[in-house]
Amino acid sequence: MAKAETPIVKRSLFSWIFAGNVHLQVTLLLIIAVMVLARVVPLEMQKRIVNEAIKLRNINLLLVYCGIFLGSVVFFSALKYATTIIQTIIAQRATAGMRKALYHHILTLPLNFFRKTQPGTVVNALVTELTIPGNFVGMSVASPVTNILTLLAFGGYLFWLNPLLAAVSLSIYPIVLFLVPILQKGVNRANKRRVDTARTLSSRIAESITGIHEIHGNGAYRIENRKYDTLVDRLLKIRIIWSLFRFGVKSVNNFFTGLGPFLVFILGGYLTIKGRLELGALVAFLSAQEKLYDPWKELIEFYQVYQDGKVNYTRTMQFFDVAPEHEIEPKDREAFELGGSLEVSDLSFVTDSGIHLLDGVNLSLKPGEHLALVGFSGSGKSTLALCIGQLYKYTGGSVLIGDKEVSGLTKKDIINNLGIVSQNPFIFDGSIEENLLYSCKAKVDGNGQKKNDGMPTLDDIIAVLHQTGIFVDVLRFGLNAVLEHGQNEELVDMIVRVRKNFQRDFGGKLADYVEFFDENKYLYYSSVAENLTFGAPNKSEFSEENLSKNAYFLKFLDTADLTRPLLSLGANLGRQTVDILGNLPPETIFFEQSPIAADELDDYKTIADQLKNKKLHELAEDDRHRLLELALRFTPSIHKMVALPDFLETLILEGRALFREQISAEDPDAFTFYQMTEYIYSESILNNIFFGHTTSAGPQGEERINQSIIALLIGEDLLEAIIEIGLHYEVGNKGDRLSGGQQQKLAVARIFLKAPRILIMDEATSALDNKSQTRIQNLIETRWKKKKTVISVAHRLDTIKNYDKVAVMKAGRILELGAYEELMARKGALYELVGK
Amino acid sequence: MSLSENSNSSSTTKSEFEDNLNVLRQTYFFSGLPLETLKIFAYLCTREKFKDGEYIFQQNEDDGQAFYVLQGKARLERRDNGETAELRECKSGDFIGSLALLGDRPRLFSLKALTDTTCLVLNREKFTKTMEQFPALFPKLIKAVVQRIDTWEERFLMHRPDQCGECMVNLGVSLL
Repeated sequence: MAKAETPIVKRSLFSWIFAGNVHLQVTLLLIIAVMVLARVVPLEMQKRIVNEAIKLRNINLLLVYCGIFLGSVVFFSALKYATTIIQTIIAQRATAGMRKALYHHILTLPLNFFRKTQPGTVVNALVTELTIPGNFVGMSVASPVTNILTLLAFGGYLFWLNPLLAAVSLSIYPIVLFLVPILQKGVNRANKRRVDTARTLSSRIAESITGIHEIHGNGAYRIENRKYDTLVDRLLKIRIIWSLFRFGVKSVNNFFTGLGPFLVFILGGYLTIKGRLELGALVAFLSAQEKLYDPWKELIEFYQVYQDGKVNYTRTMQFFDVAPEHEIEPKDREAFELGGSLEVSDLSFVTDSGIHLLDGVNLSLKPGEHLALVGFSGSGKSTLALCIGQLYKYTGGSVLIGDKEVSGLTKKDIINNLGIVSQNPFIFDGSIEENLLYSCKAKVDGNGQKKNDGMPTLDDIIAVLHQTGIFVDVLRFGLNAVLEHGQNEELVDMIVRVRKNFQRDFGGKLADYVEFFDENKYLYYSSVAENLTFGAPNKSEFSEENLSKNAYFLKFLDTADLTRPLLSLGANLGRQTVDILGNLPPETIFFEQSPIAADELDDYKTIADQLKNKKLHELAEDDRHRLLELALRFTPSIHKMVALPDFLETLILEGRALFREQISAEDPDAFTFYQMTEYIYSESILNNIFFGHTTSAGPQGEERINQSIIALLIGEDLLEAIIEIGLHYEVGNKGDRLSGGQQQKLAVARIFLKAPRILIMDEATSALDNKSQTRIQNLIETRWKKKKTVISVAHRLDTIKNYDKVAVMKAGRILELGAYEELMARKGALYELVGK
Repeated sequence: MSLSENSNSSSTTKSEFEDNLNVLRQTYFFSGLPLETLKIFAYLCTREKFKDGEYIFQQNEDDGQAFYVLQGKARLERRDNGETAELRECKSGDFIGSLALLGDRPRLFSLKALTDTTCLVLNREKFTKTMEQFPALFPKLIKAVVQRIDTWEERFLMHRPDQCGECMVNLGVSLL
């Protein structure tokens, strides 16, 4: 957006009323005008029905008037419905607009702001607090106009019927008008406190969830509960006060408007008895007066929504009213192509509390030079790197990239020329590929190029995967993928064909690491269910989770004499697992070797308890099914808490033959049996190539499998296809399905893929094993030397020898700056740090 | 070695878990822990096989694992300036690497399998996550380690000092 806009936090609530909604609001006004007219008609009809039709005993007239009455009611209702729809649309659009604009604003706020702000606060503001302001915008035109017009129309009609009666019955409204704002002040005071407390509460929740490890670690449940409960109690009090005031407004209003009929009856009744008012007019007057309540009530409600909305809106906007430190995009020019040189002079960075994190730092790099920053933690090396990368706004001195001052550049200028791999890289939920392309996409976005311009090709991606050493990981993800029917048919055919070559070329070498599917052998790396069916189910009723409830299968187990031994296996498994895991938190690390999932543990605890004093046959049928389910899952190589008895193994092998015989005759399509000519859709690609299961091999075994499989895939020209599947691997929330090393490699890879002119590495390889670390180091030294400027915050001193310059930092200053050998020869700070 | 032999070597129905439990009770590091905690460790341990000549762990790597040799033989080595010094041998029943569970430092030595070797392995992540559940047990472990280091040096002082010569000045790791 090029034109200067008021930032959302400075916009008034009223500015949302017509923004983008002009035609809707105008339509609304037109409908309302018609609607108000349609509302008075029934009143007049009512009078005429009594005074003319009934009095004159004229049936025709009665029918005509009733017809008009009915028509206007229907018409009114239709219009009312239309206005509700339009109001809802306006309200929702306003809420959505506020949410978007505020989120867009919040993302641009300086890092500093988020150090003080919990995620929960942001979530609460965006999700909860903007609803009422949105509702206000929806009502803002329709509600006052409709209700005031209606009030005027009815009021006018009342005066037309009887001015005296009208004046008396309307006299109560000024009293209400006087009282309501007084009460509303109390509402607003409470609401302001409610918004603030809700915000504190949200950040409290967010904090304890983020720190859940520490809470578990210290068993600090009570401490956290107390902190939380105090806040909830405070919110409780505020909400009660808030609600009481709100109801106070309503009650005052109801009370006074309730007095209306009283006045009409006493005065109107008197006038009618005295013959100065027709009965029809009194009836009309009464119902017209009653009709005043609704618009009046709505008007009061609108007033409340307006007040609440205003409080929520301004409170929220005030909180986020912080200016971004840098422009996001240049307004009247293209983004700069910056030079690769760096000139830092007299740079200082002082925190709000007056601590000098950087103090008079000077250094300069020519394009393509590599600089290593070393020093103890807290020496300011990361801060310096982040100041150069514009993530921190330095408070004094200057940083020139090319010949441009960094503080004057827009974010776009920076990201087009500079890449940062941070200490704790963040991996977003999504596929590996999405995360790899994250930096490139952000750079290309808004550069005015076409969609795929400047995006890397698959070859580029594969090259970077190799460079950063994450290639094998991605290959693994690909190999572990389970394909679905109809997906990648060509690949499926290839894999089935490849099997023979694999067994011929690598079968012997990998025999120790693979358990091949063999009809006559028990599979220790497969579940009991798999061992029995020895095939992949094609029907959902035979899927592993449904098998224990499948009547056909249960009957088969009986025939094969398996029910009882399996039940006892299940009972044994359940008892042991509950005994070991009973009190552990539901973390993956505890449950990946367990047949019972974390969320099932409580159920099985109950069953295990019953088993203490009940025999298996005394259990409820449901519980027996649960135990059977457990037994069917049992995989000896994973679930080590019980052993598979020999007799059961034999029994299951016999059962396998029997099952195959039976089901082939009775339901031949139910399973695809494991055979060399068929792809097994329930198994991963790797297991399909092997035609077996990999066994739990140590790192060396893994390495051997990888080598063989890569050789095979290259030979068969399948490598790219598998890598592509691996790239679609979902990394999970915050990348939690990746190891720390994989996350870091991915973070390095995404910056390498962007290949910026200036690269900042902030301890970017600290979580990597030696080999990957050396690999990345070599790449930087050979491929990037003299081409890209590199600033590396080093966490290990053995990696910095080949840098052009080394800066040793302490307490925010550079102690020494020069080539490694030169500094070592000087026997100064670096020499001391290296400790030789 | 085929898998069936491995998983079900004995025809009695003793599970791997029970075997592991017995092994852990014999190690200096774990033996002082209550049964409840030991069971979790016995459950979390895995068995890994290393072929003759493979490295169980390597110098300069931080693998973060502790090993109990169940079967086979392995040798500790130290590489310096391209030369490999062969230190001592580890055989079945030896427990190595408890310190790697407690802190994250690169290995100073390598351990190389001399025959096909099977080890019981526990890694730092599993160890740490479990100990988070039993923070009160940490002092017990620390005591065991301190005692171990002390006994080690004491034994060294009793039997070896005469062969050590110049390195005498660097003794005293138990004084840390």
